Amino acid sequence: MSSIEFILYLVINTAVVLLVAPLFMSLLKKVKAKTQGRQGPPLLQTYYMIAKLFQKEAICSPNSSWIMRVAPYMNMAAILVAALFVPLVFVPGSVGGIGNIILFLYLLTLGRFFMALGGLDAGSAFGGMGSSREMSIAAIIEPTTIIVFAALAFAFKSLNIFDMVFASAATSVLATPTLILIAISLFIILIVETGQVPVDNPETHLELTMIHEGMYLEQSGRNLALMELSSAVKFTLLMALITNLIFPIGIALTLTVAGIMIAVVLFVIKASVLTVIIGLFESSIAKTRFFQLPNLFTMAFFFSTLIIIIEVFT
Amino acid sequence: MIDPIIVTDLIRVFLVFIIITAAYIISTRNLSSLVTVYAVQSLALVFIALLLFQIEGSTTLLAIAALTFTTKVLIIPHFIGTIQEKIRIKSDIQFHFLTPIKSLFLSVVLMLVVYITFVEIMDGASAPDDLFFFGAVIGISMMLMGMMIIFSRKRALTKVLGFLSMENGALLFGLFITELPFMIEFLVVIDLIILVLLTTILIVGLDSTIEDYHERLQRFHLWEDDLP
Repeated sequence: MSSIEFILYLVINTAVVLLVAPLFMSLLKKVKAKTQGRQGPPLLQTYYMIAKLFQKEAICSPNSSWIMRVAPYMNMAAILVAALFVPLVFVPGSVGGIGNIILFLYLLTLGRFFMALGGLDAGSAFGGMGSSREMSIAAIIEPTTIIVFAALAFAFKSLNIFDMVFASAATSVLATPTLILIAISLFIILIVETGQVPVDNPETHLELTMIHEGMYLEQSGRNLALMELSSAVKFTLLMALITNLIFPIGIALTLTVAGIMIAVVLFVIKASVLTVIIGLFESSIAKTRFFQLPNLFTMAFFFSTLIIIIEVFT
Repeated sequence: MIDPIIVTDLIRVFLVFIIITAAYIISTRNLSSLVTVYAVQSLALVFIALLLFQIEGSTTLLAIAALTFTTKVLIIPHFIGTIQEKIRIKSDIQFHFLTPIKSLFLSVVLMLVVYITFVEIMDGASAPDDLFFFGAVIGISMMLMGMMIIFSRKRALTKVLGFLSMENGALLFGLFITELPFMIEFLVVIDLIILVLLTTILIVGLDSTIEDYHERLQRFHLWEDDLP
């Protein structure tokens, strides 16, 4: 594969993920609002909000250090590098470590680490609590995430996400029913990693239960915009992992303009359907008590271990 | 006639579906969804029996599918659903020995043990990737998981559902490996219906006459004749 093609992949993938990510956040809010009998925000609301925040000055607490100023950039950088690991619309052959699922996991954790540091740095009670809870959840979910990714690796006989998507495009869900179990496990990981109901409620502010939002309560202006955008990108990446591995239909395997265009449209449709499902799922259940959360993780753990048993022994 | 490869794939999908429902039955605390999931699990068994009929052509499989559909998808869930509506118990949060999390972990171990045991027992008799082998392993695992529900839950209704799920495991095993005579399957189903009927009495107490029993239900506000 030519290096030009790979560079094009990097540009296209980053551009697509940055462009479509805010759309899904608005759609999610819209679905949840509709189920509550409200009108909900317009679909472009998150774009307006991020654009507005980028124009505003970033004000930091006098008690904070340089960590708080650096954290949004480090977080965004980690998430954007991770974005290169998940092909959204076009799958090139992998180069170097790009596409390695373990590295992908570490990049997500790196972003979360800086986000938590930023939350602690301002010294506010909510930021500290948010960071503490986020890291507690991260520590509990980590073994499950690793098992889920290990199950993915066993099912597709590869550690590289690009190879997995290639393998998935060549087969069907019907032929490999373990993919259904993988989809459920990944769905749970998506809910936990992006702090959605029942783990956390992203709609709430200044509530004692908040986790994810608490960490960037002290951020403002373009720093806040980066935090919001990075959350949206992370959400889109994890959705892309599910849609492109379970329903790889439409993903471009060769670099052509028409192929990319079709792939973008199909990706937006697939991810929108998944967003609606997530919105309905969130609306159908209540936020779980903090100490009940392991129940949810165990389900993902159970299915993933089962996949490994099936894949290893059959 | 459907292509045998598609039939086999569909059976695998339904087997995976049964595992998901079994995991839900083990871990949920919500009684009303428990019955629905049991009915869905039984429906998956009906489809598996129908698909196996496509491969083997045995009419017993059709009879089993019809029987399972009538009893386990319609009659038994209806009975238990009615009991639940009348008795004001919506959730089951009391456990002996095992919490849902531990039960799930134990289920994984059980499946592994069943698999290894089957490989040892049926060494050479069946290829490990055989669909029938996979189905039998899941069947026996479900029986053990049902047993686990019986001893780990305190509520009588959940215990009964554990028993029903165990019977589903036995049926699955029968479908894939031994093929129980239809008469035995029929008798088992009659036993199940009697069991579900008896549950209404067992839930409050065995030591009462029918009149005394009903009065007791009223006294403890466990029975509501005038549902909204």
